[in-house]
Amino acid sequence: MPKIILEHVTKRFDKFVAVDDLNMVIEDREFITLLGPSGCGKTTTLRQIAGLETPTEGRITIGDTVVFDSEKNINISPAKRDIGFLFQNYALWPHMTVYQNISFGLENLKWPKDRIRQRVSEMLAMLKIEQFEKRYPSELSGGQQQRVAIARTLAPEPKVLFMDEPLSNLDAKLRLEMRTELKRLHAETDSTFVYVTHDQLEAMTLATRICLMKDGVLQQYDPPLEVYNNPANLFVADFVGNPTMNFLPGTARVLDETHAEVTVLGRSFLFESDAPLGKPEGEDVVLGVRPEFIRLGSGGMEGKVYAALPAGMETTVQMTMGDQLVTSVEFGSVDYKANSPMRFEFHGQGLILFDKKSGKKLGRGSATQR
Amino acid sequence: MRNKKTLGNSLRAYFSKPANVITVIFLIVLLLTVVLPLSTLLIGSFKVNGNQEAIWIDQDGVEDGSWTFHHWIELLTSKEYNYASTKFWAPLGGSALMAALACVVAVLFGGVVAWFITRSDLPAKKFISTVFVFPYIMPSWSMAMFWENFFKNTEINAGMGILQSVTGICVPESMVYGLVPCAMSLGLHYAPFAYILIGGILRNMDANLEEAATVLKASRFKILYKVTLPIVLPALVSTVLLVFSSSISSFTVPFFLNKSSINSGNNFVSISVQMRNLINTGFTKGQGYVVAIVLMMFSIGILTLNNWFTGKRKSFTTVTGKSGQVSLVKLGKARKVIAVILVIIVAFFAIMPLASFAMESLLEVPGDWSSFTLRYWLSREVFEGSNKGDTIGILMSPTMWKAMGRSLLLSVLVSLVAGSFGILIGYAVARKRGSKAATLVSDLAFLPYLIPSMSFGAVYLALSYTKGFTWLDGSFILLLLVGSIKFMPFASRTGTSAMLQLSGEIEEAAIVIGVPWWKRMTRVLFPIQKSSFISGYLLPFISCMREMSLFVLLAASYTTLVTTVLQEYSRTGLNQASNAINLLIIIFVLVIQFAVNKLTGASIDKGVGG
Repeated sequence: MPKIILEHVTKRFDKFVAVDDLNMVIEDREFITLLGPSGCGKTTTLRQIAGLETPTEGRITIGDTVVFDSEKNINISPAKRDIGFLFQNYALWPHMTVYQNISFGLENLKWPKDRIRQRVSEMLAMLKIEQFEKRYPSELSGGQQQRVAIARTLAPEPKVLFMDEPLSNLDAKLRLEMRTELKRLHAETDSTFVYVTHDQLEAMTLATRICLMKDGVLQQYDPPLEVYNNPANLFVADFVGNPTMNFLPGTARVLDETHAEVTVLGRSFLFESDAPLGKPEGEDVVLGVRPEFIRLGSGGMEGKVYAALPAGMETTVQMTMGDQLVTSVEFGSVDYKANSPMRFEFHGQGLILFDKKSGKKLGRGSATQR
Repeated sequence: MRNKKTLGNSLRAYFSKPANVITVIFLIVLLLTVVLPLSTLLIGSFKVNGNQEAIWIDQDGVEDGSWTFHHWIELLTSKEYNYASTKFWAPLGGSALMAALACVVAVLFGGVVAWFITRSDLPAKKFISTVFVFPYIMPSWSMAMFWENFFKNTEINAGMGILQSVTGICVPESMVYGLVPCAMSLGLHYAPFAYILIGGILRNMDANLEEAATVLKASRFKILYKVTLPIVLPALVSTVLLVFSSSISSFTVPFFLNKSSINSGNNFVSISVQMRNLINTGFTKGQGYVVAIVLMMFSIGILTLNNWFTGKRKSFTTVTGKSGQVSLVKLGKARKVIAVILVIIVAFFAIMPLASFAMESLLEVPGDWSSFTLRYWLSREVFEGSNKGDTIGILMSPTMWKAMGRSLLLSVLVSLVAGSFGILIGYAVARKRGSKAATLVSDLAFLPYLIPSMSFGAVYLALSYTKGFTWLDGSFILLLLVGSIKFMPFASRTGTSAMLQLSGEIEEAAIVIGVPWWKRMTRVLFPIQKSSFISGYLLPFISCMREMSLFVLLAASYTTLVTTVLQEYSRTGLNQASNAINLLIIIFVLVIQFAVNKLTGASIDKGVGG
């Protein structure tokens, strides 16, 4: 069964390094998202696995076959890698009808005519586009084109499915709908999915594991909740989660293996880590506090409401304390007046202590005010 | 517009928008400059034009100005001495065949180069693409002159050409003069045009379309004929149709390559050469107008066909997305070999013509270096042509210099008028998108493109013979008018596409803060699309500078242009001088083109060509 292994994969365009020494294993039937800001190398990585782009160095294995090896000069063409690829702009052939678009790949596999007919009908029904069979792509809406593209990709039953930001051209409502359908599709087809996106919410909700990249370098490769709760560094913590994590700069003094005295917001806290603390490169640290770990209404800190953004289900409250902006999320329909005073405190076990210089995580745990 | 206030508020509101004012003004201008002359031509083909013609027709009740179907009937059906056949059908058929051959050459040559430049990892792309468009920048007859210079030989009494002097080979006359050489030179001239059109589509075509087929296991050959070709097909068809319509009505190329003796069988009279003969005789002017109308209908028919073909529902969908990551086809070991071959071919057709013109102008006896002479550049000997005061050495001829100056002045004025009109029309069309008046203006502005140059000249000739317009006859204003209108399609096309790329909001942002219209145009819109707009000025300039067919009927002895002087030297057999003038024109045009390109980034391949 297809397990994809990337070893020391590097891609250089002239002097620019798009992907730098990437190592990762994608297990069979996983749903992996490659996540990162634009230009981080995620699309290049996907295209390299698919064979549309040639890596400068490294080795890629799909299943039992080495499909690329720079040392042994192996480079199997995308046609022989047994994959499906869903393009961001769908890449439907404008001169073929919906039927012809879907049947094209099956014809290349030399399937008998009646089997092609049957499979195409199956796909049309599955994606609810039967009535468009004879239309040309230019006569379809964006969402319909998207479904045709999915049908075309799935028709030959690829064992591995690559998707390059397939939902980014759809409107918000349709995007949500297609997200659900993609997840169902993954459950039904037992294929391995590799999915590129810059939308952290999409990555969080779809994937079994997220591969977060920055400037061509892998930052963290973990299940979504692990990435959310236990980010490896400041970049990951900042990129994942909305509203973003509060980053409170301060200083720390290590007391023992799991305890440190942390000073942020002009106050002193005892930080208790659930695992041994990393070694900081200096005194300066950043305390990362997700908005849900700030409790409003009581506690030893007092700020001023800067703006409250009620959304019905929850309310995002931004406060200033000194020159620091602190964001909190409160569940339920509440509203606060601007400039009114507000007491708050940290709670829970999910606070993260980062080293300011390297950006690396030092520990995760609770902070109690002294 | 003040006096229209009384016509009501709605009208006043309509004219408060500059786009509407421009639309209305240009509607009137274009009706006067395009529709009126066209109808004069149409009427002229059903009327007796002048006393000579009345005498020639020799029928009862026929006099100057009376209505008649004689021109149409005589030219299209007369069996007397095979008149209809020799004067009309044979030239038309020959021209059609020539145009078809030219299409094949242009599309194959231009298409193959376009594919290599846009889709493969060929080295030396920049050199090839720069030099490849040279033959298109040169006047259209340059390839014909070069063809003659290269292949002519002493066996057919034409002097020694390059091929003979290098290898001693004498090719038969049918390879030097006649239909095939005409088709070849036209094909080579239009190959860069095919390259620009096909290359544009290939460059803009989403590479994902081909990659999607690769992933679905289609073979490379299958991708080419099932995906790439069908998508490029509309551009291919456009190219074929446009090259065909330009070639069939080409005047200059058949004019230069029609020197063989009448009886050899290689004598090829094209339909436009025929048209000029008919018009110039004085007593068959009406028949000449008939030919002009037929040629025009050909072009319009072809363009309708083109629009029908490209407008079908299969047409290119424009889904926006990134297609920046184009993987180029790896040519492997053939890479360098193909590059070397292409560089040699491209350089041959770009540089050899120039060298051959220079050489021809310097040799008294073609191919014989011992007869080297500067006579045709510097001699003050008087040349007995129809232009008074010509000397054999072109640089000493005051007529030549006057004509050169006049050409330059004409081209500058034409480029200013056509370019500015193009921008204004582009503005009106972009702002009033979809409105009937704007569409009409846009279509009318494009119409001159479809009218073959010779026919267009004939249109204005007919107009200048019409009562009330005779003051135009042979005047400089007539040339300016004809040039500006004929070359406006280039400018209006580039102007429209540049304006369409600017969102209305950019202008609205300026309206909101109270910037007047004139300032919005010059300070906001123009600077943003500067290079496109300058291309809109550059194209008419270059086209006008090298144009001959358009002016050949209209230029009088006191309004000669450098191209008509060249034609005069060529007609009287002074090949050395005509080569020298041609070289002068080409160098001039190339220098201007590169100077403008370097200074502003505008270039000829940004607009449509023709």
